[in-house]
Amino acid sequence: MENARNTFYLALRNQLAVVNPLRVLLLRGVERPGIMVEENESAVAFAIPNVFVLRWTKLSIDTQHALPLVAQVCEILYWTEGTSANGGLDRGRLLSAMDADLSQILVPRNALKQNFIVTPPAAMATRLFWNGAAFDGVVTTKNRISRMASVTVYSYEEAVEL
Amino acid sequence: MSTPMIVSPIVSTGFVKCRVRVYFGPVNRATEMPTLFDASLANGFQTNAPLSPWIDLGWIDNFQRKSSAKITGVSSGAPSIAQYQVRQTAGATVSFAFQQWTKLTMALAGGSEHMNVLVPAAGGAASGSGGIAGVAQTILFTGTTATSATMLNLSSTDLAKYSAGTLIAVDADYLGQVGFVGAAVSAAYIKSALSVNSDPDYVRRVTFNVARVEQVTAQGLQLAQPLIAGTPAVGMKVQPILGFVDREGGAFIQEWSALFVMSGEQGDAVFFHYPRLQAMEGPAEESTVLQEPMERLMLSAAFRALPIIDATDSQQVFCFRTYVPAPATTV
Repeated sequence: MENARNTFYLALRNQLAVVNPLRVLLLRGVERPGIMVEENESAVAFAIPNVFVLRWTKLSIDTQHALPLVAQVCEILYWTEGTSANGGLDRGRLLSAMDADLSQILVPRNALKQNFIVTPPAAMATRLFWNGAAFDGVVTTKNRISRMASVTVYSYEEAVEL
Repeated sequence: MSTPMIVSPIVSTGFVKCRVRVYFGPVNRATEMPTLFDASLANGFQTNAPLSPWIDLGWIDNFQRKSSAKITGVSSGAPSIAQYQVRQTAGATVSFAFQQWTKLTMALAGGSEHMNVLVPAAGGAASGSGGIAGVAQTILFTGTTATSATMLNLSSTDLAKYSAGTLIAVDADYLGQVGFVGAAVSAAYIKSALSVNSDPDYVRRVTFNVARVEQVTAQGLQLAQPLIAGTPAVGMKVQPILGFVDREGGAFIQEWSALFVMSGEQGDAVFFHYPRLQAMEGPAEESTVLQEPMERLMLSAAFRALPIIDATDSQQVFCFRTYVPAPATTV
């Protein structure tokens, strides 16, 4: 399951670098595409604006098949307060841009699973796949607007993972 | 002095199961010899390691079996009163959906000739079930590692045509014979050489003797799964394939021996053995929604059971149902 989560993150991260190379974040002194996995980072007191944060929530495993089919729900959270140059009045436009970025980085909707237990990561036999994002409504908190989108990521647990 | 073991059985708890698994056995069509499941060997049947020669076809959904047997009364007198009963008709059908898409499941569910899509020769004309194929490679029976069901020795020149992951078909050249063809499994019936254009690759086009190359060694092709026909016979050749194609239409009807296994939650098991099943529908699919718009597509399958003569008492039989009770239950 962890391989699927990591593969999904890398797929989105690599796509984001193509779709919008300007959306970056600076974390621990390293600039990288503006997407991160909440459980892989230190707990922070503040959330970073204008980036995507992946949070893994629900899990189900269908064992009625030759290989267990794992469904993991990934909540993707993002927020913005606009730019100071525009007095924050462009926050709606920036959120829409993030909506568009997210839709694009979720394509293609599958990726070859990577085994991150070994170094370097090795290609596995199956592909994970996911549906389109289900977007929640915009939440407004003072001058901040945010949204959460959910994606269900499906993967087969291969023999080496069982 | 050892303490004698005492079993205090409980009443039967009924049969609770989650799913059904199916196994394939070939029917030799020329000799009309099915693969028989011996219930006396059923105890200890491992679903993940089935007894030879059964081949695992995986879990299935929507398993339904029906008996078309009709028993009617024979009446006499006035008023007419049933005095006896006789079996008027006998028969059985089975339907389910294969979860797995494989050569075997596609072929059995499709019912008709099932083609391997041979890698074509350059410049060939298009054909629905695959055009003229490239040249097949001769299997060698020399080398430090013997050719076997999982190892095919080839010349170094021929080996260069394969890579890990390639799908292959292994069988003999077509030499103009008529009748059933195919190693281990009767895959098609040839009425005349003309009907198959005397295609030397025809048998490999329909054979069930397929596998995937796991590794190309210095000597041959190491296969990821054993060939259904076992160690290749002298004269068999290997040919790369791209996939499989079945057709709506065709005259041939596949026949197979089936074993359906239901493992109970209490350690009991039910086995349904149909020695002869023939498809009674063409290729079809059914789907279950994974999450809109994603669907899992399964192979619909419906079969009519044909009888065999049970050697025990010479009765015509369509299906054998075996129940192995849970340990420590009354029977």
